[in-house]
Amino acid sequence: MLLNRKNSGERWRIRPDGPGKVTGAMEYLTDMALPGMLVGLVLRSPYPHAAIRSIHVDQARKQPGVRAVLTHADMPGLNAYGIAIQDQPVLCHDRVRYVGDAVAAVAAETLEQAERALAAIEVDYEQLPVLDSPAKALAEDADLLHPHGNVLHRNAYKTGDVEQAFANCAHIVEETYCTPRQMHTYMETEGGLFVPETDGRLTVYAPTQHGFMDRLQLSRILAMPQGDIRVVSSPIGGSFGGKDELNIQPYGALLAMKTGYPVRIHNSRWESVRAGLKRHPMVITMRTGVDEEGHLIAHQVRVTADTGPYATLGAEVLNFATEHVTGPYQYANVDVESLSVFTNNGMSGEFRGFGGNQAIFALEGQMDRLAECLGMDPWMFRRLNLRAADDPGPFGQPIVRTDGAEQVWRALHDSRLWRERQAAIERKPSIACMPTGNPPTGLRDCYQGNSESKLPWLKEGIGAAYVMHGAGLGVGIPDPAGGRLQLAQDGRIEALFGYEEFGQGLIATLELMLIETFGLAAEDIRIRIGDTDVVPDSGSSTASRATSMMWKAVQNMRMPFMSALLEAAGRLLHRNPGQLHMGRGGIYGRADHGGAEQKLLLPYRALAAATEEPLTAETRFSYPVSPVDRVGAHFLYTYAAVAVKVEVNTLTGRVRVIDQFHTVAAGPVMNPQGYLGQIEGGSSMALGFTLTEDAIMSGGHYVTRNLDTYLVPTIAEQTGQVDVLPIEDLPPGDSHGPRGIGEIGSVGLAPAIAAAVRQAVGKWVCKLPIDPAELQERPYFTQKAVAVHE
Amino acid sequence: MSKEQAAERLTAPVTELHVNGNRVTVCAEPSKRLLHVLRDDLLLTGTKRSCEIGRCGACMVLLDGRPVNACLAMLYQCSGSAVITVEGVAPQKSGELDPIQQAFLEEGGYQCGYCTPGMVISVKALLDFSPEPTDAEIVEALSGNICRCTGYGGILRAVRRAVELRRAERS
Repeated sequence: MLLNRKNSGERWRIRPDGPGKVTGAMEYLTDMALPGMLVGLVLRSPYPHAAIRSIHVDQARKQPGVRAVLTHADMPGLNAYGIAIQDQPVLCHDRVRYVGDAVAAVAAETLEQAERALAAIEVDYEQLPVLDSPAKALAEDADLLHPHGNVLHRNAYKTGDVEQAFANCAHIVEETYCTPRQMHTYMETEGGLFVPETDGRLTVYAPTQHGFMDRLQLSRILAMPQGDIRVVSSPIGGSFGGKDELNIQPYGALLAMKTGYPVRIHNSRWESVRAGLKRHPMVITMRTGVDEEGHLIAHQVRVTADTGPYATLGAEVLNFATEHVTGPYQYANVDVESLSVFTNNGMSGEFRGFGGNQAIFALEGQMDRLAECLGMDPWMFRRLNLRAADDPGPFGQPIVRTDGAEQVWRALHDSRLWRERQAAIERKPSIACMPTGNPPTGLRDCYQGNSESKLPWLKEGIGAAYVMHGAGLGVGIPDPAGGRLQLAQDGRIEALFGYEEFGQGLIATLELMLIETFGLAAEDIRIRIGDTDVVPDSGSSTASRATSMMWKAVQNMRMPFMSALLEAAGRLLHRNPGQLHMGRGGIYGRADHGGAEQKLLLPYRALAAATEEPLTAETRFSYPVSPVDRVGAHFLYTYAAVAVKVEVNTLTGRVRVIDQFHTVAAGPVMNPQGYLGQIEGGSSMALGFTLTEDAIMSGGHYVTRNLDTYLVPTIAEQTGQVDVLPIEDLPPGDSHGPRGIGEIGSVGLAPAIAAAVRQAVGKWVCKLPIDPAELQERPYFTQKAVAVHE
Repeated sequence: MSKEQAAERLTAPVTELHVNGNRVTVCAEPSKRLLHVLRDDLLLTGTKRSCEIGRCGACMVLLDGRPVNACLAMLYQCSGSAVITVEGVAPQKSGELDPIQQAFLEEGGYQCGYCTPGMVISVKALLDFSPEPTDAEIVEALSGNICRCTGYGGILRAVRRAVELRRAERS
């Protein structure tokens, strides 16, 4: 059943955070203000690569209204940050490595005064050769960007012997795929308010996807105990992975502690572009071979990622890409080598999909090309090579068994859009299936739908792609989870989790989970998240993990919490707790024959008032991991398949999406509105990745500086229907519950569009975003004239 | 307040405008952007800052009934004008929502919510002008408002729902 409001019934609910959002009443962290607060600004490098000879701040400090000017010389603690490796300077000392590098930070009474102070800081730079590509950074005589060289990370996965296997292949496809420097483009740029408290503590109101990680990093930088820092990290105006790493927090925190005044920082869009993370541009070369029957027997992959100047999660993204270039298919021989290279380009890092988007775009391109070589239907070709439910994961590691791979294959095969494609091909069998000569030419399907009625330069095609996407941080990375339930003094049932709400609908999902688990009313519940002083550390709100972990936590706490409440209620009511149950508003009695009495015996408020000891339940555990010694290997996977219909205008080269079908096998739908929003919204992000989005750099400088040239889809590009079909079945006895869906919607559309373009106009796309010039044809009405002329 | 700020306050000209039905006077440079006047001087932070070049629509307000990016309007250009921000869309009675806001809630036409105030304003401008818009009119009216979260599906459904709710309200 398609996911929509109508089919969701009462489970389609108004989000608890909705009214504040639609009225503008909800205060984002960048909306906060305090009397007497200062404005913070950061001086960033004008050069992609330079040595710093000297920094003079005397003039800047003398400017009116200036309260602090900080450089590396003023650092109280560690002058470095990074979630995985702390190699990014907070304030650069002797060298800048990209145009976002920070050299000084200023706090002043007004924005204008802060700007004047920035302008008065004198930095003497000596420009150095700019390594603006992995190739330049890997050259033998290249400057070393870090003491250990210009390679952040290498990974590899090998099984069998690909060279020998290639000798036995009937068909081999080799192609190089390039993906863009996609920008998260959260609508709220980085910012926040930093408040030194009278007791010497610091409160940080700034978006992040893991408040406790920010607290840890800030404690190192400020040389303050973690307990003296409170991080309030929610609500957030979009993140998509881009605000997980520290951004402006070190500067706001340092300036606030230095001046003793609250400091507000809010990046301009240009500052966000120059300093912020992007999706890793990757070049992926694949050589893949099949036997006569179409069985995949050899797959060789080389991945090169441009990670920019510092580590952040570049190594982890590369590990993810390495795992996902093989996908849900079985091969006897695999040889993957991958490389993440430091450059003087912009910072690359965590972004929804986490390296899977690039990997799967390339992999699915190979599948379509091979199917064509074989003269096979591309979806049947995938079926032939698809993993069985009990097969190991992409690294040969044990993974949790589900039937997801088969389920989404079947759902797409039976979908309206795919049937439309098959019907259209069969209508013109002579074009579609006639084998002519040697592959790879001559076996291409042609979509013959209703295109006869269209203008001759508009060509339609339908394509599909398959996605198998891991969730959780993977083997070898601490991945804690947990939460707390408690009956508050005022009778509300409080759920406390260390997660952040950046739009994904986590609060609404948790509310619905609590309503359905305990039979509560929404009014009985208070949800508290994103405040390190209040909540337990539940791990990060990343890696499609939060819903799974909240579900598991609620399962773990259900019995202990219910028992605690019912036993306390039993004592007060002089009834056997076994005859009581929780419900809307309070504790109800159970009749002897087992049926529920409708009479409310004890409101939660009365229970709270009459109970001395706290009624609470807490759980701590970790995201489940595969029993394998392979860093980053995943245990839980979500499966998805996407079909898309496009129209290519061969006069302009523009691609328009006109119909989409997404099916996702991720276990039960915890929150229909949130699920639909994640898949629709993820798909829109993939649309931009495929057609228009690229933060273009030249010589280490951003050419793209704002949203006039960085083109995210608007409502005018987001055309046509989007059907979403969730597959909710899990194998009997599955104990892992709902799988992550936060990222997977952003992955499959790109390769599906590429396949549809191939069907429409006969051209293979291997570089994103698709360059319209590649799809332009000589206008048909000039062809005759040219022929005559020639 | 520093001496300089105090001096500025004394010398800055006074501009009068009507915001959400209230007469307000603002002491600020005439070239100050309406966006910053709203957010910093009047503490109306529902109007959001994002691209500041008139591309994304997060700061959309109604200026004498017409949708305007507040990041592109200077204070002097708004002198004597009526400005409606997201805070002024609903009736001023407590707890009541405009049908457009109600429709966004019902259909889930938002996620992070940061573009939502601007969206609500653009939809209001559209429906005040064309109560029964075609899909093409909806697309044109909202093509200056970027949403990064929803993929616009929920927003389109919300606009259609808002049309229904307003129709019911009229009849």
